[in-house]
Amino acid sequence: MAAGKAVTQLSRRLGAGAGSNFPGRVVLRLYPEAPEEMAASLAGGCVLVSGTNGKTTTSNLLAGMMRAGGMLPVHNRVGANLMTGITAALAQASDRKGIPRGDIGLFEVDEATLPAAVRRLRPRLVIVTNLFRDQLDRYGELESLARKMDAALKDLDGEAVVLLNADDPLVASLGRDCPARIYYYGIEYAGVAEAGLRHAADSKHCRECGSPLDFKANYFGHMGKYSCPGCGAARPPVDFAATHIELSGTRGSRVRLSTPRWQGELFLGLPGLYNVHNLLAASGCAQLLGLDREAVERGVEGYSTAFGRGERIPVGGRDLFLVLSKNPTGFNEVIRTLRGEGTGLPLLAALNDRIADGRDVSWIWDVDFEELAPLARYLVATGTRARDMALRMKYAGLHPSAIRVEPELKRALRAALEGADEGETVYALTTYTATLDLRRLLTRMKAAPGLWKEA
Amino acid sequence: MGTPELRICHLYPELMNIYGDRGNVIALAQRCRWRGYGVRVTPVSLGDGLDPTEHDLYFIGGGQDREQILVCEDLAREKGDALRQAVEDGAALLSICGGFQLLGDHFLTYTGEDLPGISLFDAKTAGGDARFIGNVAVESGLEGVEGVLVGFENHSGRTYLGSGCRPLGGVIRGYGNNGEDGQEGCVYRNAIGTYLHGSLLPKNPRLADWLILRALRRRHDLDELPRLDDSLEEAAHRAALELTLREKRRRGVSP
Repeated sequence: MAAGKAVTQLSRRLGAGAGSNFPGRVVLRLYPEAPEEMAASLAGGCVLVSGTNGKTTTSNLLAGMMRAGGMLPVHNRVGANLMTGITAALAQASDRKGIPRGDIGLFEVDEATLPAAVRRLRPRLVIVTNLFRDQLDRYGELESLARKMDAALKDLDGEAVVLLNADDPLVASLGRDCPARIYYYGIEYAGVAEAGLRHAADSKHCRECGSPLDFKANYFGHMGKYSCPGCGAARPPVDFAATHIELSGTRGSRVRLSTPRWQGELFLGLPGLYNVHNLLAASGCAQLLGLDREAVERGVEGYSTAFGRGERIPVGGRDLFLVLSKNPTGFNEVIRTLRGEGTGLPLLAALNDRIADGRDVSWIWDVDFEELAPLARYLVATGTRARDMALRMKYAGLHPSAIRVEPELKRALRAALEGADEGETVYALTTYTATLDLRRLLTRMKAAPGLWKEA
Repeated sequence: MGTPELRICHLYPELMNIYGDRGNVIALAQRCRWRGYGVRVTPVSLGDGLDPTEHDLYFIGGGQDREQILVCEDLAREKGDALRQAVEDGAALLSICGGFQLLGDHFLTYTGEDLPGISLFDAKTAGGDARFIGNVAVESGLEGVEGVLVGFENHSGRTYLGSGCRPLGGVIRGYGNNGEDGQEGCVYRNAIGTYLHGSLLPKNPRLADWLILRALRRRHDLDELPRLDDSLEEAAHRAALELTLREKRRRGVSP
């Protein structure tokens, strides 16, 4: 454990808010075997959470369930999901001898990093939430990404377990030749299905034979109940299901869960159907790890929002509702949630094109802003691509007189708040790095608790 | 003749829709509505018939490999002929990335598959090992557009133009058709092919109007289009251009 010890001290000296990749990069350069060594000393092994959307929320929900069940997870909390971030999380959770102070690793893993993470951390359980065209400028195409993920799962140990989202045809097709046992989760409630696929849907063709899939029910994006008229491939039967869902706007949803061991209803304080998927992934994983119903329920109750993923912050006599919106499907779900909030809404939209956001902002044209425009009283556009955002809303039908461009975030926030009435909610829709910027700004304004909350 | 109506044919909207290309159709439609013109958008996809006299403007976006193969097979049936006929008759057409590649002579993929094109453009494409990804700025001499076009490219295909068509413009920043000859896109009669996503037309409104005017002139007597307030479009164009020119990592290929 010599490396681990040195690594821990080094990482402390380099200091880091969680999420910073710098210490991880240095550690990996000096001690390339550090992640393997540190992960191997976790008694309960590692769980990896991968996929385009929902990694952070799923991991945070799961961490709460683990703690409620008496486990002590080592967890990369704030979206630092490349090998560098995972290494830094391990190092920072380790004592002076380099032994992690925890008994199970819980790591969200960038889709493209999954092969390396499986090879190096030898996980006992891997979750794949969904695959969307989030950052194709980084990954190339979905099909080639799926092939890489297949190769990663094939590399798992025979006693490992995989948990897949059955509602996503591409994710459900994963795991060919995988030696691990595969379980599935999904929505089994027609009351939340919409008719027909949206144009932003990504995986509409059978991965086996290429025929267009037949969607009997569509929840959002390309999530739904599907079958292939060409080769007969169909959505696999699910082990963990949501059998009834009552959506109540931005407050959350009441969900009835059905699992092999128990059935029960609980309130999830997170809005939208996409969070029901996150709940299914987390609660399914908890049970596969042997946690009981009480741990799942207490984990959900005690859940504190993954930062920026749907939280309400009082500022300047108004409520700021902060929600991360980083790709077409995520954004469309947010818009669907806002439909339950009435009309005449004050909006702040922050669009950045930094590397972590994806340099290409073309995706905003795949979002159904046509459904958001009639809900808006005004929109303040900000971020490095503020004008692209403003233009998108103009073409979606919001009158230019209701659109204001303020590239600088502080001025934009002030403008958005000033336009709202006392006690009114301002909805802030922000891409990944813009969420970080906004939280930092709010922290400086002392309106929000510290950005890097300790685990 | 009455109020002009633009009849747009959106080809393979559910297959060829990568990187927000449908924003081009939104831009074309809105710019007509704001002028009080009628608009009709007809989706035409796999197995559908295509009547070249039914539409004034054709649009096809980019797609992933699998979708592109399906579309290639479908175009090889009657649709390819109908599309060529429409363009010969003066219809306007905009094709982006994968759509552009399929309208050339052929597309030799990096994995060795030879996808036949419909030879609407005198152009050949071969897949390369590295992807060309990033912001692009192109100087275009297209009549009525004269100026810089901005967009984002993401392609591994390298396209080379023959003598039967001309480039849309010369690359100022980015890679363009092939990263070698400094050319971007292609123009033949009123048909345009380009690698620029963005979406292209909202931030390049003069190009949008170039297409609308030519499409409407097929059935309506129009000298020019009424002007619109494009201050937001121009601001977005300016900001994107500044950002593109500021980036140091992109090598410019001089035309």
